[in-house]
Amino acid sequence: MTDQRHSDGQGPATGDTAAATAPASPQGRGGLSGVNWGVLRKYAVVLVLLLLVLLFSLVNPQFFSGRNFYNIVTQNTYFIIVAIGLAFVLISGGIDLSVGYQMSLVGVIMAMGMTKWGMPVWLALIVGLALGTFLGLLNGVIVTRLRTFPLIVTLATSVVFQGVSYMISKAGTYRSYPQSFQDITKLRLLGLPLDVYLTVVIIIIVSVIFYQTKIGTRVVALGGNEEALRLAGINTKRFKMLIYTTCGFFTAIATIVMVSKANSMQSSFGPGTEFTALTAAIVGGVSFLGGEGNIPALVAGVFVLAVLGNGMQLAGWSSYAQFIVRGIILLGAVAFDEYQKSLRLRTKHR
Amino acid sequence: MAEDYIVELKGICKRFGGIDALKDVDLQLRRGEIMGIVGDNGAGKSTLMKVLSGAYVADEGEIWVNGKHVHIRNPQDSSNLGIGMIYQDLALFNNFDVTKNIFVGREYTKGPLGMFLDKKRMNKKAEELIKELKVDIKSLRQSVMTMSGGQRQMVACARAIAFESKVLIMDEPTAALGVTEANKLLGLIRNLADSGLSILLITQRIPDILAIADRVFVLKGGQRQGVLNVGEITLDDVVSLIIKGKDNSVSQPVDVQYKSFG
Repeated sequence: MTDQRHSDGQGPATGDTAAATAPASPQGRGGLSGVNWGVLRKYAVVLVLLLLVLLFSLVNPQFFSGRNFYNIVTQNTYFIIVAIGLAFVLISGGIDLSVGYQMSLVGVIMAMGMTKWGMPVWLALIVGLALGTFLGLLNGVIVTRLRTFPLIVTLATSVVFQGVSYMISKAGTYRSYPQSFQDITKLRLLGLPLDVYLTVVIIIIVSVIFYQTKIGTRVVALGGNEEALRLAGINTKRFKMLIYTTCGFFTAIATIVMVSKANSMQSSFGPGTEFTALTAAIVGGVSFLGGEGNIPALVAGVFVLAVLGNGMQLAGWSSYAQFIVRGIILLGAVAFDEYQKSLRLRTKHR
Repeated sequence: MAEDYIVELKGICKRFGGIDALKDVDLQLRRGEIMGIVGDNGAGKSTLMKVLSGAYVADEGEIWVNGKHVHIRNPQDSSNLGIGMIYQDLALFNNFDVTKNIFVGREYTKGPLGMFLDKKRMNKKAEELIKELKVDIKSLRQSVMTMSGGQRQMVACARAIAFESKVLIMDEPTAALGVTEANKLLGLIRNLADSGLSILLITQRIPDILAIADRVFVLKGGQRQGVLNVGEITLDDVVSLIIKGKDNSVSQPVDVQYKSFG
């Protein structure tokens, strides 16, 4: 249960119960040398989340209500799922800007399958998952074959996916799906819709993958030093393809949730998700350069954006004003990431 | 007599583009010996070792390990044959602690289908290795980024010997170290050899070789110039072979220039 991140040169993170259970870890160097950046970074996002909740509760009494919190959670399940898929890519040192248009294409195919081509729900789900996985694999293959920046590759594939999505949908809207498809997000168990449970299960499984399996360790290792991982005997190319494929698979799951929730689909649904997911990941402590990140903080990152959006909406801000705030948040999060890295280096050379 | 040697390279050739990095190189490594690999910059030292470690694949030639003809196509093959290499740039993961650095790529696992990491066992093994190497690392959970050059070298060392390696290749391990740390490391390398490990040591510091190696292998221009027994030679013998080569030719102006530096 060791920590994924490289920031705890100061010894075991005090708040990390996992660290305390590691039997062979001798005493760390303690926190006397000042702030423990590892712990601060890990919990900064939770702190920000709590502050935002407090702030909006004071500003607007409507904010602090069970009803509103229910909305915030249920409206953001698919963002969490996309962000988790994207986290695999980001932590491994890559990036996938195409997840938004992957959703557009996968969603349109599933929606048209059910409403126009007479696919049963189970078939539409399988086709959607298979297509999403394939699009992820496609990104992975291109990134590893071209050996070029994934930023550009996925920007390019994103535009391709957009074109294909609009060509197939003819810019039409496809709605009214079979009840069993809608049930994915409408059927409730103990007061919560099924997709909330699905999301929780995904969070748990992926957390276990990152902290308890060699796959997770190697994703982080790839982001830390690709050449070293290759020399350690790992086929890094194939591994990278697997990572992009995984991202595509999770994006497809998120698409299913999104389409079911909206009970309507057109090619413009999905794009923009990549920005939210990317911002949430970075706010949640995933390094833009790879090699670090943890899943619970990432989920908190999604909620920081969600609460902010919700609060601004309740406060009557226009969605354009919200765009400005979101952009500034991404800049701020990246700046914070760099800042605390430079601090850490300074500590090292002291 | 192939069986006498733990590693034998026969007629190794490696080209990069139109350049012959290695030309028909033969090398024999005995069990439990330290063989220094020396030569000028670009002589092919690292390339030769990378052929053995699987980082490069030779264009021609044969590799024999333990008297068996083997094919090394990637680092995994080499590692499976009991060959560990410590790279000059260390190939460590700065974002990982000591234990993880030792085990990346060869993690201990447990549970159904070996699904989960066996962190307890890895920590225990890491602790043993660090004790064996007598390294002063305060915590196995310390990130290697915050460590000194010597400590990092030790972690790389622990990584290389963690998996029953029989042959250890070290690429300029003392290059970035201070005098004290370097001496400590040389002592450690000698101890490892005395305990049965066979070691190939690339270095530019010839006194290091004279201090701990049994034999020294000299390369120049990608060709084998000769192997000298350390007990029978002086620093000048090695330097002379590095600069002039086996043909004792100083015809090229480049060589003359090197000589004035030597």
